Amino acid sequence: MDIIEKVIQRLRSPGKKGIAGIWLDEHKLVHAAREARKSGLTKFEAISPFPLHDIDAAMGIPMSFIPWVTFIMGLTGFGFGTWFTWWASSQDWALIIGGKPMWSLPAFVPVMFECTILFAALSSVGALIWLCGLPKIDPPVIDPDLTSHKFALFVPEDDTGFNAANIEKMFKDMGAVEVKRTEF
Amino acid sequence: MGHGHSDNVQRVTPGPLPVSSTFKAFFLVLMVLGAAVFGYLLFTDKERAWHAYLAGYFYFFLIAIGGLFFSSIQHVTKAGWSVNVRRFCEAFTAFLPYAFVGALVLFAGGKSLFDWFDSAKVHADHLLEHKQSYLNPTFFVVRVIVFFALWLLFTKKLVGGSLEQDKTGDENITHKSVGWSIAFLLVFSISFSLFCVDLIMALQPHWFSTIFGVYCFAGLFQSTMAAMILFILFCRKQGLLTGYVDENHLHDLGKFMFAFTVFWAYIAYSQYMLIWYANLPEETIFYIPRVTGSWVYVSAALLLFKFVVPFFALLSRRAKRNPAFLGAIAVLILIMQYVDLYWLIYPNLSAEKVVFGVPEIVIWAGFAGMFMFAVTRFLSKHPIVPLKDPRIQESMHHHVVY
Repeated sequence: MDIIEKVIQRLRSPGKKGIAGIWLDEHKLVHAAREARKSGLTKFEAISPFPLHDIDAAMGIPMSFIPWVTFIMGLTGFGFGTWFTWWASSQDWALIIGGKPMWSLPAFVPVMFECTILFAALSSVGALIWLCGLPKIDPPVIDPDLTSHKFALFVPEDDTGFNAANIEKMFKDMGAVEVKRTEF
Repeated sequence: MGHGHSDNVQRVTPGPLPVSSTFKAFFLVLMVLGAAVFGYLLFTDKERAWHAYLAGYFYFFLIAIGGLFFSSIQHVTKAGWSVNVRRFCEAFTAFLPYAFVGALVLFAGGKSLFDWFDSAKVHADHLLEHKQSYLNPTFFVVRVIVFFALWLLFTKKLVGGSLEQDKTGDENITHKSVGWSIAFLLVFSISFSLFCVDLIMALQPHWFSTIFGVYCFAGLFQSTMAAMILFILFCRKQGLLTGYVDENHLHDLGKFMFAFTVFWAYIAYSQYMLIWYANLPEETIFYIPRVTGSWVYVSAALLLFKFVVPFFALLSRRAKRNPAFLGAIAVLILIMQYVDLYWLIYPNLSAEKVVFGVPEIVIWAGFAGMFMFAVTRFLSKHPIVPLKDPRIQESMHHHVVY
């Protein structure tokens, strides 16, 4: 019981204090993200019920490094498969099968191939989960309608050049239907 | 990611491709040269002449039928992104009538290529006698004519329909193309497989591989994508596709080329591994000449340059969006496609050592001239973008995030 409590405590994200602006139109959110970026903010988040075109460019999010994880772990898996088939079939437990040499490359390509895919795929998913800070239990909710028809931009207090009054004014000027101090 | 929508790019409505008379003359010269070398070789080294003919012929046949195949899968999937590049693969089908004539010419060389064309050889060989009900010249000619009749019919329906839509803008043509494409894909899968068996696999009539049609198909898709990419890059450079085809379209074509590079390796390996493992004499006869003697270098080159190099080269997103780089890889793939066909066909002529020289290159170039003549003629008569396709807006705003 004690251990479970501890794990849950760790997964519970504390949530940062900050300001959220809420819009009813996704284009206005993209516009707001672009303006927020122009004003020098860097750590803000956009929340939308569906994927938005151009939002990553508007927020200035660089290409993710996950493809590199996939590539390097794919090579690692390939190397592992090669080594493992060599070790298992010619070193640790050498067996003659079909009169072929102990370590016959054509027979082991499927193993090498599958190891490549397995390592690449699992580590990509792992990297994605880690990068997204998942799993999260009981995260703070800005507005329950953000999974339905509302779009939000959240600026944490520790963002560079954070100024509550300026940000509230900026959000309102850009047509936010609601601006609130909240946690995310 | 960092680029805006193509809305703010200045567009010029794409018309037909202007083909200068210098180009036309160049293609004609290639054809004449190819024919001359072929004719000369017929008298000096008949067998080599026909093997070179088959390699060059089959090379461009694959791209031509590949164009029809690619446009039909676009119709079947009701794809929007590919509308602005579809005309190029449609143009490749302009070579199909030439390929039909080329097949008729090929019948004359049957005896130099296929043992089963010769009734004396058939009677001397029990296996050939056994396979005679399928592998005989008459049925072969009938099959090839029937296949071409079907392919030309579908070209008329699919490509002809697309051209008609250019004039009328009738969206019913788009709906009808779906049905025709489904029918074509069914016909294609059977007829193409059998055609490859007839023209390439039957060079060695004792040998058989049930995956052979798929092997040829993998090369077909790979080389068709490479050819499309090169045509598009050429037209882009001329400024003919500004605002219509950008790096997003290239990215997706590059993905296809990458995918079928992997697919080719997968099929080639599947065919090799099963034969290697079972080690049955009637199957290994195909690989033994190709892994011994000087042919082993050709086999190694195939593995390296038709799979390993393009695989790593096309892996990243940036590589597929860089026109010059993508073009270079497309050229490599087109070269290796010839090596692949050469590797399939030539050990039949000379199992011990590699025979390659000017005749092979010039005869291939002759077919290249014919192909380019047919395709550029098609493109010079019709707009290079199907402007009245109802899904064209999807292609205009094509945006590939990953």
